[in-house]
Amino acid sequence: MRSGGNMIRGEGLTRIYRMGASEVRALDGVDLNIPRGEFVGVMGASGSGKSTLLHMIGLLDRPTAGVLEIDGVDVTRLSERQRTLFRLNRLGYVFQDYALVPELTAQENVYLPSKVRGMSVRECNLVCQDILERVGLKDRMNFLPGEMSGGEQQRVAIARALVNRPALLLADEPCANLDTKNSVLILDLIRSLNRELGQTVMMVSHEEWHRQYFDRVIFLRDGKIVDEVGAGSAP
Amino acid sequence: MLEEEQVALYLTARLIARGNKGTLFLTIMILAMVFVNLVFLPSIIAGVVVLFNQRTIDYSYGNLIVEPRPGELRIENPSQLVQKINGIPGVVASTPRYSTGATVVFRGRSTSPLVIGIDPAREQEVMRIFASVQSGDYLSPSDTGEALVGETLAGSDDPEGDSTPTLGGVVVGKTIEITFPNGFTQAFRVKGILKAGTSSVDNAVFLHRRDMARVLGEADPANTILVRTETTGKDAEMRLTLMQYGVQEKIWTWQDKSAEFLASIVGSFGIINVISTLVSLIIAVVVIFIVIFISIVYRRRQIGILRAIGIDRSLIIKSYILQALFICTCGTLAGGMLLIAVLQYLAVNPLIFPGGPVQPALETGLIAQSVLSLYIVSVLAGYLPSWLTTREEILDAIRG
Repeated sequence: MRSGGNMIRGEGLTRIYRMGASEVRALDGVDLNIPRGEFVGVMGASGSGKSTLLHMIGLLDRPTAGVLEIDGVDVTRLSERQRTLFRLNRLGYVFQDYALVPELTAQENVYLPSKVRGMSVRECNLVCQDILERVGLKDRMNFLPGEMSGGEQQRVAIARALVNRPALLLADEPCANLDTKNSVLILDLIRSLNRELGQTVMMVSHEEWHRQYFDRVIFLRDGKIVDEVGAGSAP
Repeated sequence: MLEEEQVALYLTARLIARGNKGTLFLTIMILAMVFVNLVFLPSIIAGVVVLFNQRTIDYSYGNLIVEPRPGELRIENPSQLVQKINGIPGVVASTPRYSTGATVVFRGRSTSPLVIGIDPAREQEVMRIFASVQSGDYLSPSDTGEALVGETLAGSDDPEGDSTPTLGGVVVGKTIEITFPNGFTQAFRVKGILKAGTSSVDNAVFLHRRDMARVLGEADPANTILVRTETTGKDAEMRLTLMQYGVQEKIWTWQDKSAEFLASIVGSFGIINVISTLVSLIIAVVVIFIVIFISIVYRRRQIGILRAIGIDRSLIIKSYILQALFICTCGTLAGGMLLIAVLQYLAVNPLIFPGGPVQPALETGLIAQSVLSLYIVSVLAGYLPSWLTTREEILDAIRG
């Protein structure tokens, strides 16, 4: 059932929101193919449909019409429970505002999805320490989110997203709340994970200078792909 | 333990340990108050019922009442029967009485109360009328021509203010005239005024049974023998024991005699109790539900995020149920301690009811019922809001 070398295959992806009598076409027949191991950027103005596309691929929303295959699975046919398991096992999601559980330390935030996946405590601890070390937070593992900077919190969020070794990492404007220095740290980290682990990454951004990190950039306007630009130059 | 429950417990433990301590404390205290509310009033009502029961035994009937055989008006050889009953295991003592209606006159005011002939010494072993002497003295075994008058019957100097027919303010040392059903009239000196808070004492006249015997022209008249047993509550068993020991007279338990009165008291309090418990439970449901609902709504976004990263909604629901159970357990324990403190206070400063001081009667069943109710309510209050919140679209939850 795998669709060749593509991690994501979308055909005619449409999302219509109804607001009273009127309807808004947030996505309007988007076709896309994202190969495995690619670092794809999604850019466009506000309201262009970037986040809607990412939500759809992250199984946080359902398309009104169209076909969506991720890692060879037609995700539009999955039940709610199957979608939850799919998110847990095959997707990693990084939110704009980190979205960490404030009562859990960095290690515990990362530990939670791995434990839910059924790993033993020892396994969980090992993978958590490994991933936190990889994102440079080995010394901050026992800190609560409130005790960490925005950049550190976002790195915890990335570690949490990657702890179950997902097929696809989705990042929704992960640098939106960060200064340039921390943004560079995060983008470098994602880029290195993409390069070293062959991690497929899809990232929404509205910052022009982020383009240099992407293998390919998809431009959206009014819910449609209006342009695709290949290989940005990595720093 | 199952994997999912383990993770739910892991999450719950940390959410509780690192969550807002003030909110947690407040929630636990609210639960504690609800628990006290559920237990306290019913235990006071139970205490009032216990008081009524005890007073019925102490001042009206004893534990068992022996009456003449069917078709007879007197107990045959009552002194012998008293000796016999006193020898039965489980009996503390028994006392013969002769009760009759009579006309009592004082300063021209007359009324027709119950006049009861008692053996003062024996009576003290069975009843507590001796303890209800408000003024004057109790009858001594050698007294003749002396009477004890109930406070209500004695009345006040202003008889118009008395709610029932009275003697218009008779006091100790005064003389009353009693005319018995056989037409015999005799003057008695009032030796004591009784106040027991029970009409069977406060509306009656007590004489020595020897005086009654002289009036009736009988050696040993009795139409009732009151029996005190070692244990209250096993009255029906003791009734059978007396019958097994050959007591052929009619035997009643104090519950039989006061059935109608007791049923109406217990019935009325029962209704109050049910209403109070129901209201307390509704308050408990609403309070616990609101507190946990607010907590869950506050964490709505977090729930959305947990679901977004692949945490199943059943795990999230279990986590909130566990939190609710934890709060309930702490609340119940805190409520228990609060209740103990209130009981300690009431032991020193009892609530005074018309029948006397009332101690709350804590029943295991009531406590178990209250604890169980709180747990059921807490599980529902943890389950319903988290179920509702985890049902909504993930994006809606994340956006708050």
